[in-house]
Amino acid sequence: MAAMMQPQIILLKEGTDTSQGKPQLVSNINACTAVSDVVRTTLGPRGMDKLIHDDKGNVTISNDGATIMKLLDIVHPAAKILVDIAKSQDSEVGDGTTTVVLLAGEFLREAKPFIEDGVHPQNLIRSYRTACSLAIEKIKELAISIEGKSLEEKKSLLAKCAATTLSSKLIGGEKEFFASMVVNAVVAIGNEDRLNMIGIKKVPGGSMRDSFLVDGVAFKKTFSYAGFEQQPKKFVKPKILLLNIELELKSEKENAEIRLSDPSQYQSIVDAEWNIIYDKLDKCVTSGAKVVLSRLAIGDLATQYFADRDIFCAGRVTEEDLQRVAAATGGTVQTSVNNVIDEVLGTCEIFEERQVGNERFNIFSGCPLGQTATIVLRGGADQFIEEAERSLHDAIMIVRRALKNSTVVAGGGAIDMEISRYLRQHARTIAGKSQLFINSYAKALEVIPRQLCDNAGFDATDVLNKLRQKHALPSGEGAPYGVDINTGGIADSFANFVWEPAVVKINAINAATEAACLVLSVDETVKNPKSESAQGEAAAGAMMGGRGRGGAAFRGRGGRGMRRR
Amino acid sequence: MGFSMQPYGIQAMLKEGHRHLSGLDEAVLKNIDACKQLSAITRTSLGPNGMNKMVINHLDKLFVTSDAGTIVNELEVQHPAAKILVLAGKAQQEEIGDGVNLTISFAGELLQNAEELIRTGLHPSEIISGYTKGISKSIELLGELVEEGSENMDVRNKEQVISRMRAAVASKQFGQEEQLCSLIADACIQVCPKNPANFNVDNVRVAKLLGGGLHNSSVVRGMVLKNDAFGSIKRMEKAKVAVFVGGVDTSATETKGTVLIHSAEQLENYAKTEEAKVEELIKAVADSGAKVIVSGAAVGEMALHFCERYKLMVLKISSKFELRRFCRTTGAVALLKLSAPSPDDLGYVDSVSVEEIGGARVTVVKNEEGGNSVSTIVLRGSTDSILDDLERAVDDGVNTYKSMCRDSRIVPGAAATEIELARRLKEFSFKETGLDQYAIAKFAESFEMVPKTLAENAGLNAMEIISSLYERHASGSTKVGIDLEGGACVDISGSSGPWDLYITKFFALKYAADAACTVLRVDQIIMSKPAGGPRREQPAGMDDD
Repeated sequence: MAAMMQPQIILLKEGTDTSQGKPQLVSNINACTAVSDVVRTTLGPRGMDKLIHDDKGNVTISNDGATIMKLLDIVHPAAKILVDIAKSQDSEVGDGTTTVVLLAGEFLREAKPFIEDGVHPQNLIRSYRTACSLAIEKIKELAISIEGKSLEEKKSLLAKCAATTLSSKLIGGEKEFFASMVVNAVVAIGNEDRLNMIGIKKVPGGSMRDSFLVDGVAFKKTFSYAGFEQQPKKFVKPKILLLNIELELKSEKENAEIRLSDPSQYQSIVDAEWNIIYDKLDKCVTSGAKVVLSRLAIGDLATQYFADRDIFCAGRVTEEDLQRVAAATGGTVQTSVNNVIDEVLGTCEIFEERQVGNERFNIFSGCPLGQTATIVLRGGADQFIEEAERSLHDAIMIVRRALKNSTVVAGGGAIDMEISRYLRQHARTIAGKSQLFINSYAKALEVIPRQLCDNAGFDATDVLNKLRQKHALPSGEGAPYGVDINTGGIADSFANFVWEPAVVKINAINAATEAACLVLSVDETVKNPKSESAQGEAAAGAMMGGRGRGGAAFRGRGGRGMRRR
Repeated sequence: MGFSMQPYGIQAMLKEGHRHLSGLDEAVLKNIDACKQLSAITRTSLGPNGMNKMVINHLDKLFVTSDAGTIVNELEVQHPAAKILVLAGKAQQEEIGDGVNLTISFAGELLQNAEELIRTGLHPSEIISGYTKGISKSIELLGELVEEGSENMDVRNKEQVISRMRAAVASKQFGQEEQLCSLIADACIQVCPKNPANFNVDNVRVAKLLGGGLHNSSVVRGMVLKNDAFGSIKRMEKAKVAVFVGGVDTSATETKGTVLIHSAEQLENYAKTEEAKVEELIKAVADSGAKVIVSGAAVGEMALHFCERYKLMVLKISSKFELRRFCRTTGAVALLKLSAPSPDDLGYVDSVSVEEIGGARVTVVKNEEGGNSVSTIVLRGSTDSILDDLERAVDDGVNTYKSMCRDSRIVPGAAATEIELARRLKEFSFKETGLDQYAIAKFAESFEMVPKTLAENAGLNAMEIISSLYERHASGSTKVGIDLEGGACVDISGSSGPWDLYITKFFALKYAADAACTVLRVDQIIMSKPAGGPRREQPAGMDDD
């Protein structure tokens, strides 16, 4: 009947692209492993950085998995899932983004031969999920709590976590220096932890060692008018007034209009305007504040006025900085200068303007509420500082999580090896196919130590054998052994203070497994044509990418043509 | 043949460009073929081991799901006959909210079997009459299969709820159904009103937050707003709430107006009076005892300033629906204008606090005492597509709860019901004298699709399973279904094994049969010439065969 069917059955809209079955699953897996191959070389202390040059000509140098994934602009639907998990890891724990992509890619790589051999993906998924929950339980069991230690002790423990994260970054050379800085910053903001209360200011020039931490707020000197130079630049225990109004001569309201019948009144109107601004300034002064900050402009008149009265002022302070000053000094941002009570004024130990590089910084230190901290980063090239900022962000997140959850595990691939061993052991107790699958899951976990070695130029096979032997010791004393990045051998990661918060690993394994299962559970891709509005050049690109990398080989026999005759 | 057709008859009558198809080969069989293809797409998603589909819709949004309702919605099915199936699926979605896949796949199977009958020479009308008899008999039989004593259930008993909900949720998120069911059941039971029949699906909300995993998910009595609070006050407990729809700001005229100022004093006082006015309003709100102000529109800077001064927490909810739900949660009356609220208009919350979950700042509004108004399931997952899929599973679960509030009867799941229906219907068909005997027999056979697909999706040998199911059913144990884990037949009575809601099955079968009969009734297709510009180029990949 087929040949004479005329016209063909058009089930779906024209231009719809469908593909189904095993080949498309394999193609999805290929795409995902291709993506994970991109980031794999960035893992670990000896990982390499990537230079990404986007279409706008911006250059980014990074070794942060999430940043790279975001910039890669992936269009393949399955591979996009990997971008998502990297982002999720970034928002949930802040670090371990490379790990999560790498793990997901490896889980899929291990699954591929099974799929090709005709195993039903659901069987794989079920085993992977079981393995995942076993792994997480094991991590929880192995994790060591830092709860109940004194603050000093805790700080040094947290610094070790931060150092582990930083060691894999560009600023790894100065990890101790930055680690203690990060820990101090996080401890300073206390329990009310809001990430934006830690400011990172970048000042090109100088060396990394010139970076410093302010236990308060620091921001770059804002635009200023004449008279600013006469203002005092240092105060001890000043009162600080935070404003959200303009201190400038300008019309009060857009919708007000003045109509005069008597020209002699003209001068009085001009005077009135001056009166209004003088009145405002006067109120600022009488409030007793010595430092006046505003989110909006502070004009030349006001600057001069304040200078005459030994008051420091700064206009056009960014919202973020103003919020931080408010939180640190205990003040409240005012939208009116009427009725300024003492309660809304903030204070701090010392306010000063300081030269940092070729910039001048306003620095508030010794704040009573102490909920903020600012890190002033110094360094050579712009890209370098950018990357340093990202690295510090990761370290800050790690310390925050470690502080909250208070459990750590041994890094350097030690925990991965231990879980791998545990799962292998567990697999032997299972009769049935899932033994194989859990074994392959365990094997996939070994990718972390293996990649660490590869990136450092060691013989991965050799190191891995040593590690396996250590971890297999029945006494269990080998559990904390991981790759020793300095010597190329193996070492007790715990004793070497290569520590990671347990939550990073838990989340990474969880997210990677979820993503792998999601990719495995897809057996059909249907791509509808874009609607008219969304159509354009992008359509062509997306179409190509849709079947993209690695999938090309299957194109001929892969897609089961839905629009058959 | 077709291409050599000369314009004559109806072709000559219609405007050029019309397409006209009639007769068995051209119309009926083609329609059936289209429906078969559609059901072939959905059927691999049936059951707990069903596979997901990746659908990219015309807006480039990616869906990864095994929820048939979503799949067919996003597929943009164009074939008119296949659309009927889609509509049947949608009807099921509206009525029950679950079992869409069963509807579409079963209808596809019915049509496939009809094709065989047509080839053997039956006229579609005989098939239709047979199918109609088949469905009315099946429904009668389905009623007999209802588990005894199941019509009385306590919709507030978590265990009973979960046992009925598990099958629906497991078919979307296999392996995670335990966790999900308990979340959904908790949320539903919380908001279940005194008369369960009035259960409103809208009262169970889902908040999706990226990061973490399902084990971090939780249920909140109250609401989770996905934005931060305004101002510096981020936490308030046991507070009265005032809700203003129109925004918290100085009132401005809608008509464009200009303030005329005549003298210097007026100019000086202009700003002051405005300030005083705002202060007066905010003070009035604060004096009424409210501690939290919720605004449905913009919050003016001046107003915010005074809210801070009077230590009021300010929230903004711009969605009208969210605002309505918020009022329901807190029991507040939404006021149009910023003014002093009367004590009756104030709502109450146990706590409002801004929390950071997975990098996102959300406002959690809790109301423990008011209890049964709104509850929110906070879902966590590592990617957006996982979260979306979890949400769909939750939706199905909540809908199942709604259905069981109305009718709590259950039938054995895991294909036990289908096999039993097939067996009894076959017996029934032998008693029919007319030609529709064949059609009824085929109708019975169609039920085998369910166990077959379940087994296939789980990687089991379908034929073996079906035959052993028949064997067990024939020997009297009518509640034997497939155990997908073990890959064998198992008696699910007694165990907590999957139970399906009677009402879900009832509607799914009914809609499927109706859709199949509608498709069969068509003998002519007339398609008018599509309006608009030139046809687009046929994309490559067309010529697969």
